Amino acid sequence: MAGSLGRARDGRPAPAKPVCDEDVGPNVVRGLRVVSGEVYDGWEAVYRDNVDRIYRLMFVKVGNRVDAEDLTAEVFLAALGPLRVSASVGEVRAYLLATARTVLAGYWRRTLGCQITTIDDDYPQPAGVEGPVSDAPQRAEAVLAGLPEQYRRILQLRFLDSCSVKQAAAELGVSVANAKVLQYRALRRAARLGEEGSTDDCA
Amino acid sequence: MTAREVRRFVDDLLRGRRTKPFHAAEADLAELRTAITLRTARVGGDAPGEEFLSGLHRRLAAELGDPRPTGNVTPATGGTRRRFIQGASVAAAAAAIGAVGEHVLADSPGADTRTDNPQADVTLSPTLGAWRTVAASDDLLDGGVRAFDLGSVTGFVHRGNGRLRAVSGTCTHQGCRLQLDAAARRLDCPCHDTVFALTGELLRHQLPVAPRPLPRLAVREVHGAIQVYAPPAG
Repeated sequence: MAGSLGRARDGRPAPAKPVCDEDVGPNVVRGLRVVSGEVYDGWEAVYRDNVDRIYRLMFVKVGNRVDAEDLTAEVFLAALGPLRVSASVGEVRAYLLATARTVLAGYWRRTLGCQITTIDDDYPQPAGVEGPVSDAPQRAEAVLAGLPEQYRRILQLRFLDSCSVKQAAAELGVSVANAKVLQYRALRRAARLGEEGSTDDCA
Repeated sequence: MTAREVRRFVDDLLRGRRTKPFHAAEADLAELRTAITLRTARVGGDAPGEEFLSGLHRRLAAELGDPRPTGNVTPATGGTRRRFIQGASVAAAAAAIGAVGEHVLADSPGADTRTDNPQADVTLSPTLGAWRTVAASDDLLDGGVRAFDLGSVTGFVHRGNGRLRAVSGTCTHQGCRLQLDAAARRLDCPCHDTVFALTGELLRHQLPVAPRPLPRLAVREVHGAIQVYAPPAG
């Protein structure tokens, strides 16, 4: 069983092969990048150049493929219509980011009544480079490292390796009911570990 | 007790299902956020699927009035910059661009812009409307402002220089509810610091694209009541 977390970028240690994860996203061929300061050729160019970045950003914020897809669609449907013809690439990206921020805020207000994740003002928008680099792997690793062994393993199996409860139970040698309880307790403990000093933006 | 909802939310997250709304308690938030962090830490899970990408491309093509039958994300060839506004939506897009004029992308903080445009005079005109009382005449002296909520529309009515004016109370950017700053005699959008005049004109914004002025509502004063023409509450 793998102990380390998977990380794809930055030349850090290669990820251990997930035990159960069959839902590893496809490698998307990115569209042509446009140098900042130029303008886009049309909405398709805007879409090609930004959809990957916006999706990844949303995914990191909601943790769920379908929700991230819904929100990405919402961003583009809202933003592309009123875009000016001659807006520069940088301006368009900033506008999309501003739209994404609002869309995410609205989503959390609707879903939980509280914004549990936000897109920060200083969110990096590197021109022509990789999409958002999430610090989730580091944060997750830090949290898991602080947990007792069984707690760490159940969360690793369920969240990172996408194992079913059944698979995780078998892996840990416990009953399915025990695995469920273990998961809830582990998550609660992990939340306490990972949430020092954080605040919520609740109305 | 929201423990069950939290479990369901986490379960949906793990199964890749759409999450369902519930009113989260303060104590649940850390747990939900931790679940998201753990879930997004796995390798490769953050790339969008091809099916989604081409599906959204098709939706956008339909939405933006692109007449070309496109199913794939293909590079635009020989496109002009005018391709932003093409097909069926030319007129609408041209009007929108006209409305925002030179203020588009005036995103410097505190950008002070005004939209001197005929569109400033858009009046809300419901198909099925009725005159509905929003205030008593005595309650709205000259210089006064009152908020109203008719269920179907919210807005603000004010009397200035002996003239009544009513405007929608919903920001034209993304629909946030405007708040009255009575002292400054203006309407503030809580979402993006956009500011409108009581007459509906845009006074200030920090958005890349200037939002339209607020639609007006027809307003009249009869038998000691101030009324606006609005749709029924439903």
